Amino acid sequence: MKKFFLIVFAVLSLASAGLYWTAPEQQTEMPVLYWITQNDETKRETVRLFTEWRKEQGLPPVELKIDNANLDVTKKLAHGLAGVGADIFDTYLYQTELFASSGMYMDITEIAKEQGFSPVETFPAFRGDIMVNGRQYGFPRNAGAPVIWINREAFARYGIPEPPERWTWDEFEKIGTAFVNAANPPGTRQRSYFVQMLRPDIFRRGLGLSIFNETMTACVLDDPRNAEVMRRFYRWTTELRLVPTLAETLNLTAGGEMAGSGVFYLFHKGQIATMYIPRYAFIRLRPMGKIDLRVIEPPHSGFPNMAFSTGFIGVYKKTKHPEAALSFLKFLTTERFNMLVINSGDSLPPVPKFLSSEAFLRPVGLEDEWPLQEFFSRAAPSIGIGLSRSPFILSERIYQQVTGIESAVIDSVLAGQISPEDAGRIEEERINAEIASNIEKDPKLRALYEKLTAVQQKIDQRKAEGRPIPAEWITNPFHLTYYKAQGMLEEDDNS
Amino acid sequence: MRSKQPWRKLPIALLFLLPNILGFIAFILVPLVMSFGMAFTDWDLLRHNIFRDEPLRFVWFENFTTLLTHPRFWQFLGNTFFLMLGLPFAVAGSLGAALLLSRVGQAQHRFKPALGVAAAVMAVSTFMLLRGGMSEGGLWFLFGTMAATSLVVGVVSGGTLYRTLFYLPNFTAGVATYVLWKKMYHPTLGPINQGLQPMLEGLADWVRGMPGFFAIGLPMLACVAALLIVWWHVRRLRNAWDLSDAGMIAVTAGLLSVAVPVGMLLWWFGYSVQTAVLATVATVIVPGIWIGRRPQPWGKPREADKGLGTEVALALLLVPLLLLLSAVMVVGPGLPVAATAGLEPPNWLGDFHWAKPSIMIMVLWAAIGSNNMVLYLAGLSNISPELYEAADMDGATSSQRFWHITWPQLAPVTFFICIMSVIHGLQGGFEMARTMTQGGPAGSTTTLSYFIFSEGFQTGRLGYASAVAWVLFALVFGLSLFNFRYGNRHVD
Repeated sequence: MKKFFLIVFAVLSLASAGLYWTAPEQQTEMPVLYWITQNDETKRETVRLFTEWRKEQGLPPVELKIDNANLDVTKKLAHGLAGVGADIFDTYLYQTELFASSGMYMDITEIAKEQGFSPVETFPAFRGDIMVNGRQYGFPRNAGAPVIWINREAFARYGIPEPPERWTWDEFEKIGTAFVNAANPPGTRQRSYFVQMLRPDIFRRGLGLSIFNETMTACVLDDPRNAEVMRRFYRWTTELRLVPTLAETLNLTAGGEMAGSGVFYLFHKGQIATMYIPRYAFIRLRPMGKIDLRVIEPPHSGFPNMAFSTGFIGVYKKTKHPEAALSFLKFLTTERFNMLVINSGDSLPPVPKFLSSEAFLRPVGLEDEWPLQEFFSRAAPSIGIGLSRSPFILSERIYQQVTGIESAVIDSVLAGQISPEDAGRIEEERINAEIASNIEKDPKLRALYEKLTAVQQKIDQRKAEGRPIPAEWITNPFHLTYYKAQGMLEEDDNS
Repeated sequence: MRSKQPWRKLPIALLFLLPNILGFIAFILVPLVMSFGMAFTDWDLLRHNIFRDEPLRFVWFENFTTLLTHPRFWQFLGNTFFLMLGLPFAVAGSLGAALLLSRVGQAQHRFKPALGVAAAVMAVSTFMLLRGGMSEGGLWFLFGTMAATSLVVGVVSGGTLYRTLFYLPNFTAGVATYVLWKKMYHPTLGPINQGLQPMLEGLADWVRGMPGFFAIGLPMLACVAALLIVWWHVRRLRNAWDLSDAGMIAVTAGLLSVAVPVGMLLWWFGYSVQTAVLATVATVIVPGIWIGRRPQPWGKPREADKGLGTEVALALLLVPLLLLLSAVMVVGPGLPVAATAGLEPPNWLGDFHWAKPSIMIMVLWAAIGSNNMVLYLAGLSNISPELYEAADMDGATSSQRFWHITWPQLAPVTFFICIMSVIHGLQGGFEMARTMTQGGPAGSTTTLSYFIFSEGFQTGRLGYASAVAWVLFALVFGLSLFNFRYGNRHVD
């Protein structure tokens, strides 16, 4: 038994040593930089181009390794807070405040200015995505603006007229109903939908309403305009069946991902007539074969708008290789990287000037796509608005705060558990209760809250009097754009 | 010499035990103590971590008061208990499976030719269905082939194959099973709805052809069945009271198991909550007085809680059954109208009302062939054959053999299974919610264990999540005590 014990002990020790010596860091003399992202062709090409670029810049070589096993936001957070996070990691949509408030991001404000990857290098709409409380935490990897993709063949098949580039909710409802009725004859099971998903924020914005007030100190959804949006969502999803429920969408995608290949397959087949997805749909659709496509704006109800946000790359505060990690952010501003984004069919390039490049507007061999690319280069910068995120409540902590509350409330409306009229009140109460709880725990946050609440009072007063509101008082990107369009914004010469 | 030897071996023994002890200390004892402490702090991963030096605050019972006043906690607790309603059926299913499997070996030689013919017919039919283009997606062909193969191999190999097949869900990784079930529950492409659709179409034709039966006859039948069950149950309670087998608390609990479905039925019919509650109370009080007025036999004082375990166990069977009959009464009158447009199979995981039953069905499937079945098989093999021989000589029927020999002899196993099932039921639901529904729709499949995960690891509120975990522990502990107090009376 003693011998057996010793043998087991020796084998385990040897295995541990083997594991250590076969780790990537031990295989090379170069520093190894870990990047949490998907392991696809574009990312592998990015790695190759980055290595080349560093060589050309005369920088010491590094080995950039893709880590796609820890993409889940919970894992990124858990590893980061345990002190073993990846050097650089992709950050999506609402995760900025989450990582920033945890302290695991490296604050790159000053160094970004020095090295040329500050917010001025990218779209103004992304300031809120890469910055929290005036500090910069990363640089965009791409720019996402979900638009409505139209499978023209599906419309032609049933003789349904295609929607125009700019269209209203009523047109959406009318055309959508006609399509769903034609594609799902009476007495058959529903297999075709008009669109795979919709987001409530662009619909609220269409009515001049945002989830937060101008200073983002409070949720303001207990409003008849929100009830109207919820009524429409209920009607479109439950009564007219233009849109599948979230669970049905997850089933459509089969793998549980919203952007999974199931939706693209069904869209390509014409089983889903339109698709609400950013430009990266090209990556999925091109290999499926040629298809007659158009892209148009999401439907509106008075104020045309679309969501415009970024997936960006942040640097881990405890990275062992800060120079190499920061150089990767600099690389994201280069023509080489932006051209890769353009040519791969991924979302829009992070640096705006490349939107007007020949390579973007007229990709060689893809002449059919030229009108679509022209739309992308025009629409997002003109009506795209950044996300509204309050510093007093995490947008996505991970699923439990703003996005979690929102999806639970919408789920409840669609399940008939609460009325569209009650939805806004419930969501507002829950979000504001979280805000109250957060500011109570954090004195710094409380001081900022009190300051901005005072500003909000002044804004409310001006609104009541019908007077324009100074731009510098407003932190919500929606209100800045909306008031400007309505002539209610008071801008000084510098703004 | 002998007395010294154990001491000399102690270091070696400790060395062997050390990995286990270290593992226990590092992964069980320390986290346990820490989580107890954390439950009384405001530990938040985002504010209290290696990058931020904010001091941890001791908040006493704040996490518990927040939790107990939070409506979502009660919703999730309700979900957990709702999913546990399937436990009695799972236990009964595993007992049934064990009984069947224990007979396969004995009966095989008798039924072998018949099974062989059945297997051959099934295999040929499956092949013909495939050739005829019946199975568009190939899934039904796959299932048919698997069933036919099982039958054929079972006939050849005896009961071993069936035992393995029944036990299969237990050694298949949970997540893989859940992903498979998710595909099976797919509203349009899943085999369940693909199989249900033609049946529902046939049913719709049937309903349209006999609207009177479905609108009036079926609800009436359900009503009569429910009334018979209630009458049987109340009479049984009266007899138990007369024989001093049930005390006041047990009788009240027993009456509640029929009163709650009465209240639910009224509520489903659109009556107010107050009316439903009043009806529930009345259904307890009126028969309660009728039973309670009867004189005590032999002047023997009753223990108030005597028989409570039996009533609770029975309630777990009665309540779902009566609710099912109530549902027939509510849905029946509307069936002919619904059938005019054709009956649609449910959106299993996507519908707020169907999501929990969907998970229950899946759990039932997994539970029938679980460790419970193996325990029952072991229990069955331990029953002395002399008891059955004696029963045979007395001319006992199969039913009498089961109720008077098998069931009492299996009581210790059943008790153990019940205890473990309740514990697992309270702690369960995480993997399936995470894999299949993400706790939705509208939180309908979020159980307490998933709530702990989402608060602790998604939201980062470690203090709050620990409080939920300790509340769950208290529940498990309380219910286990209840089981030991009232359940093990039947064991001996």
